[in-house]
Amino acid sequence: MARMGMVFDLKACIGCNACVIGCKQENSLPDGVFFTKTLSEEYGVYPAANRVYIPTICNQCEDAPCEKVCPTGATYTREDGIVMVDDAKCIGCSTCAVACPYDMRTQMEAESFLNGLFGDGELTPFEEQGYGRYTPGTVHKCDFCSQRVDVGLDPACVVTCPTNARIFGDLDDPESAPAKMIVERKGRPPLPEKNTKPKVFYVN
Amino acid sequence: MAIADKVFSGDTFKVGYRFQRHWDNSMAYAFFCAEAGAGLFFVSMLLGSVPGMIIGLIPVATGKPYFHLSHMGVPARSWRAALRPDRSWISRGLLGLSALIGFGGLLVLCLMFGSQFGVEANSAAITILKLLAGGFALMTMTYQGFAMSHSSAIAIWNSAVLPLSSFIYSLAAGVTIARLVVSSAESATLVDAQLLLLLSVGIMHLMLLHAAWHGTPGARTSTELLLQTNYAKWFWGLTVAAGIVLPALLVWVAPTSMVASIVACAGMLVGFMAWRILIFKIGLYEPILSMNPFNPMQ
Repeated sequence: MARMGMVFDLKACIGCNACVIGCKQENSLPDGVFFTKTLSEEYGVYPAANRVYIPTICNQCEDAPCEKVCPTGATYTREDGIVMVDDAKCIGCSTCAVACPYDMRTQMEAESFLNGLFGDGELTPFEEQGYGRYTPGTVHKCDFCSQRVDVGLDPACVVTCPTNARIFGDLDDPESAPAKMIVERKGRPPLPEKNTKPKVFYVN
Repeated sequence: MAIADKVFSGDTFKVGYRFQRHWDNSMAYAFFCAEAGAGLFFVSMLLGSVPGMIIGLIPVATGKPYFHLSHMGVPARSWRAALRPDRSWISRGLLGLSALIGFGGLLVLCLMFGSQFGVEANSAAITILKLLAGGFALMTMTYQGFAMSHSSAIAIWNSAVLPLSSFIYSLAAGVTIARLVVSSAESATLVDAQLLLLLSVGIMHLMLLHAAWHGTPGARTSTELLLQTNYAKWFWGLTVAAGIVLPALLVWVAPTSMVASIVACAGMLVGFMAWRILIFKIGLYEPILSMNPFNPMQ
């Protein structure tokens, strides 16, 4: 069985946030909700100052703390390793959110569905059809666009990235692009000391 | 690195420490209601004080569920929280709390009206009810600490001291309130216990903060937030001064004074509540790339 994962190439990322927009569009995310973020950090002192962009996403941990603490079983792991949220079972207790070391869980506040992405209090037809997939109050996260993966497509953030900074594939296949990159460029998981066994790696 | 130089990125697209914001004040109130109420119920049960047991059950049966439901995103589905006691402290806690309310309520009813139906206070049925209610009260006094310490995400919570903290605070609150509820003779026997528990609360804070200070960067930063920023005045003023030092002094100097007992109880509960809120406020997620968080390209 496949073990889907992702690699972030920190050297390639230019911080354009196209992935963030692609994700919001694919997943119909309301205002203020992000399943992926490209964080930035300045370092050094002028004239040697620089900035680095660090994409973040749910790490689809093999030993997912969010799944372990979920009191309803709403969070579960698919056979291909993608950690999913069953909207119909989630009670919005946020226990998963405080258990995720990466702060990658977001509660879908009821108010966030009311304003619309244009902030004028009116929903566009696109928003009206998209918001129906979420129950207000539930806690959600990235699932690697499982609806796309199921039909053989890459996640929206991956296909939107103009610099190929996000590489997606089967980590158990040694010939896959992410598996090769992890080996060749010494990929490192985020917060390895938390021992959650992420399936997302960073290379630079 | 000094606290002033650390980056707190909030909800922005910056790298840095992020504040825990998912469990808010309503969760703190819920925790407080459960621990103070269960503590009072437990102590009152040991002393045989039915009024104390009733007063203890009230916040457990009302405040705790109310504040949890007000926090919950989809309260209509809250019954689902009981489905996974095999892996979730939330499920275990809900079941334990429900059992405490059930067995505790039944115990109170039996103690009040049991003799009319042939159930005497020293009967086997009452003893079994006491064991069950006491056991689930102990669970309610402790499980919230386990629910928090189970999270490795918030470094300062990820401590074995937290379940102990819940238990000792709960017992201290129970003894402190019980002194106002039970008879004066029984109250006098609780003075030493109250002093010992207040001292234990102080030692427990010291243990937690010492371990956090020498722990991960996130735990240390949380400790710095508590001791060196705006939170410090609340911690020292309410949790330590009003919640530990003042009650201990009053109990020590005037153990038989009702006024002193009332002031000591109010101070202790205010300090306890402040601690419950502060421990949520200072919870931090660590920067995502901990291997070199402030210069990841080097």
